[in-house]
Amino acid sequence: MVNKLLKYDLKYMIKNMAIFYILSIFFALTTRILFNMEQSAIINIISQISVGCMFAMIVNTLINTIMRSWIRFRDSLYKDESYLTHTLPVTKNELYNSKFIQMLIFFFISFIIILISLFIAYYSKENWLAITNYIKTITTGLNISTLFFITMTIIIIFLEIFNAIQCGFLGIIMGNKMNNSKLGYSVFFGVIIYLIAQAIILLLVFIYGLFDSTVMELFKTATINIDVKAFKVLAIVSSLLYILIIFIMSMLCKKELNKGVNIE
Amino acid sequence: MSNMKLLEIKSLNKSFDNKKVLKDINLNISSGKIIGLLGKNGAGKTTLIKLINDLLTPTSGEILINGKKIGVETKKVVSYLPERTYLNKQMKVFEVIKLFKDFYEDFDDKKAKKLLKELDLDIEQHLTKMSKGMQEKVQLALVMSRKADLYILDEPLSGVDPATRDYILDTILSNFNEKASIIISTHLISDIERILDEVIFIDKGKVVLQSSADKLRNKEKASIDEIFRRMFKW
Repeated sequence: MVNKLLKYDLKYMIKNMAIFYILSIFFALTTRILFNMEQSAIINIISQISVGCMFAMIVNTLINTIMRSWIRFRDSLYKDESYLTHTLPVTKNELYNSKFIQMLIFFFISFIIILISLFIAYYSKENWLAITNYIKTITTGLNISTLFFITMTIIIIFLEIFNAIQCGFLGIIMGNKMNNSKLGYSVFFGVIIYLIAQAIILLLVFIYGLFDSTVMELFKTATINIDVKAFKVLAIVSSLLYILIIFIMSMLCKKELNKGVNIE
Repeated sequence: MSNMKLLEIKSLNKSFDNKKVLKDINLNISSGKIIGLLGKNGAGKTTLIKLINDLLTPTSGEILINGKKIGVETKKVVSYLPERTYLNKQMKVFEVIKLFKDFYEDFDDKKAKKLLKELDLDIEQHLTKMSKGMQEKVQLALVMSRKADLYILDEPLSGVDPATRDYILDTILSNFNEKASIIISTHLISDIERILDEVIFIDKGKVVLQSSADKLRNKEKASIDEIFRRMFKW
């Protein structure tokens, strides 16, 4: 049944996100075209507007992916639509899994759209060279491969955002257990859960540091002079910890949902 | 008509904070009956219905449908019409039909389309462009197009003109699975009286009466509407 639920969750998201994707790519194209035109004062002004619009759409794409995931979660499970959702012959776990997978898929799509938009607007041999050189400077300094650096950076960004979105899901579940000010409590619980999750990750890294002196150095020194080994270990350990936290959070969400809901 | 217990409610209580909304509800409903769940506004009718449909969690007690606790299996056999419009308004009517077809094995899409046509509703139309009344008709058509064991209709006549009320009642009567039972919650008793086999009176969170409609009428020598008015006179 998850696939059927997912089909409708994805349809909802695409209906709401398509406009941001289209506008993001549209303004990327106009930016590109305007940059390639013969420059004049007017063209220059229009170019700047186009760049502004493109970045506004990129930011909107990112924020809306997160916000729409939360809104869909809340509307589907606690608002009018929940009268249908909770009477469908599906388990609470399936309901949750569908929302979670939808969030993963759309964050990935949004990420790709943002990359495509930036690529369309700014790709040139010079820019590409500048970026690769910049990354090389970092990776040479850290003595790690470019592939490892890019992969780990993307993984950690993804995990951090998945974690934040899931904290929002748990916040919504907890907030809707209250009898009044459900929205206020949802935000409050979401922020508290996020801070607790971050504190737990930091604590676990510290505990790991007790057995690894290179990682412990990060807690002892004020200068950000990361040791090569420490960077690698930190990237891998924090990724694993994020995965663990996301898994635990997911279990908590399902457990709370399975206790039952109280729809107004 | 079978006497198998379709719906069994045992010692059901529901509280919000410290306020008891339902108090020790015990009910048995068998198959093949049309039951009126009657009570004043705020008596606890909707709360009871929401508990049966897993939209509320009981404080204590048990609800069984066909001997099973509320869950996936019971949702397969219960067709529920809530008092509010609950469909995603971004969808078109035919998309909602597809959704019902996807999730409910007992859903008859041809019947739904036929009913919607009879109700003069365009399946290509967006729900957002429909009036509340039209959306309610769509919901009724969908709910009555299932071959469920138990239909639960919460205030299906509220906010509807008298002529449409008759049409809705006829739609309900001519479209439900005869082996099934229907629970209709309403305070518009005179409108549904003619179709009821059984009545349940609920007041201040308690079931105060459960009886056959005919027996009650004969015993009290009055219509259900009159009995209700007498019983719940301010």
